[in-house]
Amino acid sequence: MTNIDGLNDQFMNFSQWLPGAIGIFLALVLALSLIGVFFGFLVATYRHGPGEGFYIVAQTIGQSIPDFFGTSPRRVMAIARLAVKESIRRRVVMVTFGVFALALLFGGWFMNSGTDHPDRVYVNFVSFGTQMLILLMGVLVASFSLPDDIKNKTIYTVVTKPVRATEIVIGRVVGFMLIGTTLLAIMGLLSYLFVIRGLAHTHQVVGETQSVLSLNDIDPATRLNQLGRRVSASAVKEGMTTFDDGHRHPIELIEDIRDPDSLPFNPENVVSKEVLPDGRIRYLRLIVEEVSGHTHNVKIDGQGDDARFTLSNSKGYFKARVPMYAQDLIFYDSTGAEKEGGINIGKEAQVRGYIDGGSYANRNTLSNAQFVFENFDAARFDNAEDLVLELTLGVFRSTKGDIQRRVLASMQFESIPDNPEIDSKFVSDKIIFETEEYRVQIRSIPRKQSGQLIDRDGNAKTGTFDLFDDFAANGKVKLIIRCEDQNQFLGMSRSDVYFRQSERSYGWNFFKAFVGIWAQMLIVVSIAVALSTFLSAPVTIVGTVVLIVIGFNSQFIRNMMEPENSGGGPIESFYRIVTQKNMEIDLEASVATTLLEQTDILLVKMLTSLTYIAPDFSSLNFSQLLSLGYSIRVDNIFVALLIALGFFVGFSVLGYFSLKTREIAK
Amino acid sequence: MSTAEVKGDEKQTKRLEQSNPDYDPNIVIEAQNLSKVYRDFWGRQKVRALKALDLEVRKGEVFGLLGPNGSGKSTTIKLLLGLLFPTGGRALVFGKDATEVTKNEKIGYLPEESYLYRFLTAEETLDFYGRLFDMPVKVRKERAKELIEKVGLTWAKRRQLREYSKGMVRRIGLAQALINDPDLILLDEPTSGLDPLGTREMKDMIVELKEQGKTVVMCSHLLADVQDVCDRIAILYQGELKELGRVDSLLKVSEETQVRFKNVPESAFDEIRDVIKKHGGDVLSMENPKTTLEELFLTIVRESKGVLAIGQNEPPIKCSR
Repeated sequence: MTNIDGLNDQFMNFSQWLPGAIGIFLALVLALSLIGVFFGFLVATYRHGPGEGFYIVAQTIGQSIPDFFGTSPRRVMAIARLAVKESIRRRVVMVTFGVFALALLFGGWFMNSGTDHPDRVYVNFVSFGTQMLILLMGVLVASFSLPDDIKNKTIYTVVTKPVRATEIVIGRVVGFMLIGTTLLAIMGLLSYLFVIRGLAHTHQVVGETQSVLSLNDIDPATRLNQLGRRVSASAVKEGMTTFDDGHRHPIELIEDIRDPDSLPFNPENVVSKEVLPDGRIRYLRLIVEEVSGHTHNVKIDGQGDDARFTLSNSKGYFKARVPMYAQDLIFYDSTGAEKEGGINIGKEAQVRGYIDGGSYANRNTLSNAQFVFENFDAARFDNAEDLVLELTLGVFRSTKGDIQRRVLASMQFESIPDNPEIDSKFVSDKIIFETEEYRVQIRSIPRKQSGQLIDRDGNAKTGTFDLFDDFAANGKVKLIIRCEDQNQFLGMSRSDVYFRQSERSYGWNFFKAFVGIWAQMLIVVSIAVALSTFLSAPVTIVGTVVLIVIGFNSQFIRNMMEPENSGGGPIESFYRIVTQKNMEIDLEASVATTLLEQTDILLVKMLTSLTYIAPDFSSLNFSQLLSLGYSIRVDNIFVALLIALGFFVGFSVLGYFSLKTREIAK
Repeated sequence: MSTAEVKGDEKQTKRLEQSNPDYDPNIVIEAQNLSKVYRDFWGRQKVRALKALDLEVRKGEVFGLLGPNGSGKSTTIKLLLGLLFPTGGRALVFGKDATEVTKNEKIGYLPEESYLYRFLTAEETLDFYGRLFDMPVKVRKERAKELIEKVGLTWAKRRQLREYSKGMVRRIGLAQALINDPDLILLDEPTSGLDPLGTREMKDMIVELKEQGKTVVMCSHLLADVQDVCDRIAILYQGELKELGRVDSLLKVSEETQVRFKNVPESAFDEIRDVIKKHGGDVLSMENPKTTLEELFLTIVRESKGVLAIGQNEPPIKCSR
């Protein structure tokens, strides 16, 4: 399955996200401040009585204001420098880098290049490895530093200088981030080189001559290549590359007859060129088929049978596609009525909405899915003449269907008039195609579409119309997808169908993915430093790791704890385990059952709210987008950085008050 | 101290006088009914370390806190530094609450053991602490160089402290306490762990600081050290103040008189006894005085060092007394 889970946040705009996020942040700050003051007052009252307790709390708050505003960058940097030296001289950085270097040195041995997408394996390996090592290093250095200082009493010589608690906390975070950033930059650069070099390879053509003579004639009866696969209709010869890096590519020499005024081809691929008696040109082009997500360019020296082939380095692994998603996706059922979320075909419907292809009883289904694109402007595309549409369609079969082919679908463009009662409407001809069923299929969409212009009276005029100037003259166009096979269903979500706007630099995308890891590191270091102000090093490590684990799985944990799940919430589940009750059977209605269920609801609410304290690392993790070849949006980077900043500020404040209100000496 | 710094201090004094009418700039430390109870995690009382201590330390004096182990000396110092919070009463330093960070601008502190970062060199250590005082680079570097020379560690300034002996760490500890040219220096067991030579140097340093007009507060259970350098002392026992006053007046034995003379023959001793008897006095002893073991040791080392130091990078020992 190549769809990206959670890609929905790709639709989020920074400007839309920010006001809500600031609101939640301020509300959280207010709530936690009130809780903190109340808790502080309780402790102070217990120790000193209510009067003195109130004075202590007021004094602490009063002193915090000059402490926050009087924080000296020079002192912060002094503490930061100390943290850097500490990390270096205690060899934590060297050990982390050593483990990473070892992983890179020997990791390549265990990565199977023959997989469907070795680029994804490589990228996931380096990004996951870097992420784990950096986070682990962050947790370790940040958890030990302050407790060690307190244990060894070195903190005495620091806090007896005019150093504010803010400076101790922020300085440490800054120091560990400096060391972490340097290490991350080195690891990122090495990872990039590892991926690029690890996947670089070339092949030779099987045969002695490396020329057309190495290719085989095609048996006209079967038209199969050596792998038993059908060759393309225009192939005149076929061959195979050598087996390198765990795979080989089929090669085809295809015949391509073109008008003289047609667009020029890549001259590297043309083996021979011949002018036919009718004036057209017959090209023989050598095509290396795509295998494992890449192909190779062919350099041809010479002409005709003597032409020698040289395959270039691998091409197509490293993509950073910029998708243009639809602004809206609307489903219509078989009666043509709008149906939110499409047809429900079971659990899969949580991800995708489904449309039906009709049934034997109702052959003329009106079910379809309409993707509404806005700001559909030629200027947004790198190549507006020939658009690239990428689709990942899910299929739900209610019958086996035609065994010879996959489920059929159709697509059709339609304009969205501003005033449907007056304006004419452009409708393109239907394009029927076989779906790839859960695999990305890439379709070329020419700018000029044949279709009809239908006026308000229903009169149609056929012709060729421009997708941008005619269909999307007002910037809006819709793509209608229908299922063309009876008794079958097609599923799709908003992220499944998009135009490829442009291709960005892969190196830049790699950098952005590592910015995500950097943001995670900032959160982890902030948490560890804050916790280390009142916990010992081992407990700090455990606490931080627990928060990280919750952060990575917060959604899963929330789902798992839902009392609506089979078997109920935690207490009910435990009760069922002890009494060996089937989780699908309802418990007998009684006071005890009600009590049990209500306790579960309360417990789940409390536990669920706890998961929100942990950062949602999935929104900061861009490695999946990187490995799948999608350009990481700058908006997402800003969001990640602001989330990290929010946690840094929050946990720094917690660290400050914790350090300020504790006795450093024993 | 520069003119600007003097003006700054004057301003601060005025501010303090306005905010605290009882503030007397001549009183550097003030403990009012100060008490400390150590509690366990659950808030139950474990030890009452200090009981209602009232104390004043005046500007320019060397003040000693004396007492056996567990008498509350270190607790008092920690309360004055804000490392501990008082259970009752107040601790004021330069007229400010001891928990206020800004008071530390004028304080130098040498803990009982030199709790320093062992992975730093001597130069880096002083540079780090200098940065904590927001000192400009030039001043910081000059001050660090000067102090390293003063404590005699120039030859080891680029070595990490983990390679230092205990005495060397103690010396660099003292240097860090003086990095900001403080007005008040708090020394917790300053001679602990030092050899006689180091002890003597430390005492010399304390006297030198007093001569510079600094206020020094030290706590120790080594009575001889306190007696040598302190102007006033407070004796604590089980957290209570037992005695407070000037060393010379506290130690003065009023009913006895000591006369030291030299180049007098033994034949004259009987005459001297007779004179004392004539005036109604009793002769308790009349003998040749003995030098102290410390003096003897220092003389030997000084002489040996004087010979060895020629042509070596290690600085000769400085003994001003």
